[in-house]
Amino acid sequence: MLDQFQRFGSDLFYRGLTSSHGGNMSVRMGDRIIITRTGSMLAHLTERDLIEIGLDEDDSNIMLASSELVVHRAIYLNTPALAIVHVHPPFAVALSMCMDDAIIPMDSEGSYLFRKVPVLQTETTVGSKDVAKIAAQVLREYKIFMLRGHGCFSIGPVLEEAYQWCSSLEESCKIGYYTQTLQAAQATISERGLGSLEYRKHTDDYKEW
Amino acid sequence: MHGWMGKMLRVDLSTRSTKIEDIDEEILHLFLGGRGFGVYLVYTEVTPDIAPLDPENILAFCAGAMTGIGVPTGGRASMSTLSPLTGTIFDSNSGSQFGVRLKWAGYDALVVSGRADSPVWLEINTEGAQIHPADHLWGLEIPSAVEQLKARNSAVVSIGPAGENRVLFSSIADESGRSYGRGGVGAVMGSKNLKAILATGKPRSTIADQEITDFVNYEAGKMVKASPRTSQGLPEFGTSVLVNLMNWYGVLPTNNFQIGEFEQAENISGECLRDKYLTKRGACWGCPIGCKRVTRTKNEKGEGPEFETIYALGSSLGIDDFETIIEANYLCNRLGMDTISCGATIACAMELTQRGALASELAFGRAELLLDTIQDIACRKGLGDHLAEGSKRLSVRYGLPETSMQVKGLEFPGYDPRGMQGQGLLYATSNRGACHLRGNMLGPELLGAPKMLDRHAPSGKAGILIVLQHTSAVIDSIGMCKFVNFAIGDDFFARLMTSITGYEYQVQDLQLAGERIWNLERLFNLRMGFSREDDTLPPRFLNEPLKEGGSAGHIVHLDEMLAEYYRFRGWTEAGVPTPKKIAELGLKEIVKEQSHA
Repeated sequence: MLDQFQRFGSDLFYRGLTSSHGGNMSVRMGDRIIITRTGSMLAHLTERDLIEIGLDEDDSNIMLASSELVVHRAIYLNTPALAIVHVHPPFAVALSMCMDDAIIPMDSEGSYLFRKVPVLQTETTVGSKDVAKIAAQVLREYKIFMLRGHGCFSIGPVLEEAYQWCSSLEESCKIGYYTQTLQAAQATISERGLGSLEYRKHTDDYKEW
Repeated sequence: MHGWMGKMLRVDLSTRSTKIEDIDEEILHLFLGGRGFGVYLVYTEVTPDIAPLDPENILAFCAGAMTGIGVPTGGRASMSTLSPLTGTIFDSNSGSQFGVRLKWAGYDALVVSGRADSPVWLEINTEGAQIHPADHLWGLEIPSAVEQLKARNSAVVSIGPAGENRVLFSSIADESGRSYGRGGVGAVMGSKNLKAILATGKPRSTIADQEITDFVNYEAGKMVKASPRTSQGLPEFGTSVLVNLMNWYGVLPTNNFQIGEFEQAENISGECLRDKYLTKRGACWGCPIGCKRVTRTKNEKGEGPEFETIYALGSSLGIDDFETIIEANYLCNRLGMDTISCGATIACAMELTQRGALASELAFGRAELLLDTIQDIACRKGLGDHLAEGSKRLSVRYGLPETSMQVKGLEFPGYDPRGMQGQGLLYATSNRGACHLRGNMLGPELLGAPKMLDRHAPSGKAGILIVLQHTSAVIDSIGMCKFVNFAIGDDFFARLMTSITGYEYQVQDLQLAGERIWNLERLFNLRMGFSREDDTLPPRFLNEPLKEGGSAGHIVHLDEMLAEYYRFRGWTEAGVPTPKKIAELGLKEIVKEQSHA
């Protein structure tokens, strides 16, 4: 179990899906949850960073568990999920703040995987009961959703799948971002010519070379 | 003036005189109020020729700028004096509503000196103080005494029989057991023939910038809700949430710190308390966390117990009968005694008996003797009279001083320092003796708050501890609770102090104020004859590794940490603040007479 948390935790950080101390992961084991410790570094997890706690009942380990435990619990109690990943992928977070209620991937892989990713919002975002409520509801229908301006929660039967949803979403958002940025550049070129982006003489003539 | 009231009330019980005085605003600005202002008062008014139970010793109840204002956990106040248990400066902090009512009556502080020729109680209101006869209250347990005085818009604190009998670890408390608990402050009050104090006042606003305060409060509230410690762990289990955790780490003191793991910990755990005894949760005034427990046994109901009580009257005595522990806690509350020192002193007596130095029936695990022993201590009956002097004096009396688990005379809280190096340094350097409330390393060493450190590493602990010591001095002084620090940090305290008082406080200003308070406490203790030799731990922690459990094989490496600590503090190798440090902290004028300086 520890090696899985370490492998995916490390990937999440080094792929830039979360910051040094951000994000959390958990797996459900019957009526128990194993969740990362609050304040732990996903890229450097040790045995001490995996906290076992009840699915629907607190015990002393509540003092150590991730602050998002309340959301993880609500998800497990209302969906078939057996693993959850929560991270703050920057392109997806940025895009979530520009979309009304969903991110629609432009790329074929993203479209094939997601079709759409709901974007929801609440007044409080960290360890929030409001988030727990909407997460439990939306993840009955979707595998991943974005909390506007905060991050994504994804689920799966195993950590690997929950990790995949986050990773793929970020890739789609990155593609979407690059595409839109390039489209804006293209519009500028069409309007003003390549010379508007270049400094060399004869720039516009090179296409005739 | 904003935040503070700018007034203090003085009562001299010997002359039966009272007066209202203005407080220099600059002093409040420098010392923040609460513990800080109390330190200033004790330092400037209690000279080395005064003994703790002399009429000249003072009891200074001090509220902070945040007390009664409406910020999260801002219902606390401090009580400062010269301790009869430790001989050090001592402040005891409480979430009793007394501090709030004192502030609302219009005072930042109440300073009581002298000794009445017969028992009295004090009435505090906007007009000042009135002294009333208390012969009818003398001898009553705390809830009964408070019941007789309770009035509308008021709060009452009282001593019990233990304080009247000058038990050296007696407390001052309200009817539900919320106490100015440690250091024998109840004995000081008893020595003045003062049974109880009632403060009457209605809410009043003194905030400089209400709009900003509301905004910072809102953000602080969000943080409290977001932290599982403040929104789930403490509300659901109270501090007893720590029993299983400390046991797992191998730092739960068992049989007077002879062992670090209690086999029956589950029977006295937070989970057990919740499932079998909890009837209701509660909170101190203005607190959104609510760690207070209202409990019931087969015979009684009451408040608590806290984690420290469960350790002191439970695992440290080898007792896992939770009913008895809870009832022992109720009894200590009614009689007015600090449960930590009480339990630790009984544990010392048990070890003295175990080792043949004391002839008594006390033995680890003998729960059936606990309630009678506590009663005997409060009444100073039989062996109880010796126990009433605290573990240090008891162990010396019976020839085995190493059986007393204390620093500077104050008994340990429930964390064996052999599993927490920084905590060991904290205990050794704390100005009031072995205490977890002077910069607790529990957060960084065991809970990962704010970050998880290697608990067994001595290196680097001094600097971190010093910051925490200053932060704890600040929290005690502004009138908030340390638990809120699990959710919000120094920047929130600084913003609140700015918006409430109108003074510009940055984080560094507060750290400096904390350092000022810490150093003045240190200077007071030096003046009373304490030295580097007193910054130490019982030999058990320095020489005897724990044999089993999560901290097996470890001792405290104090010398290495202590040298680093003094360097960090800018003190001499003898642990004395240098003239340069004193000048930096703006203490030159205040300590000008002191030869150490």
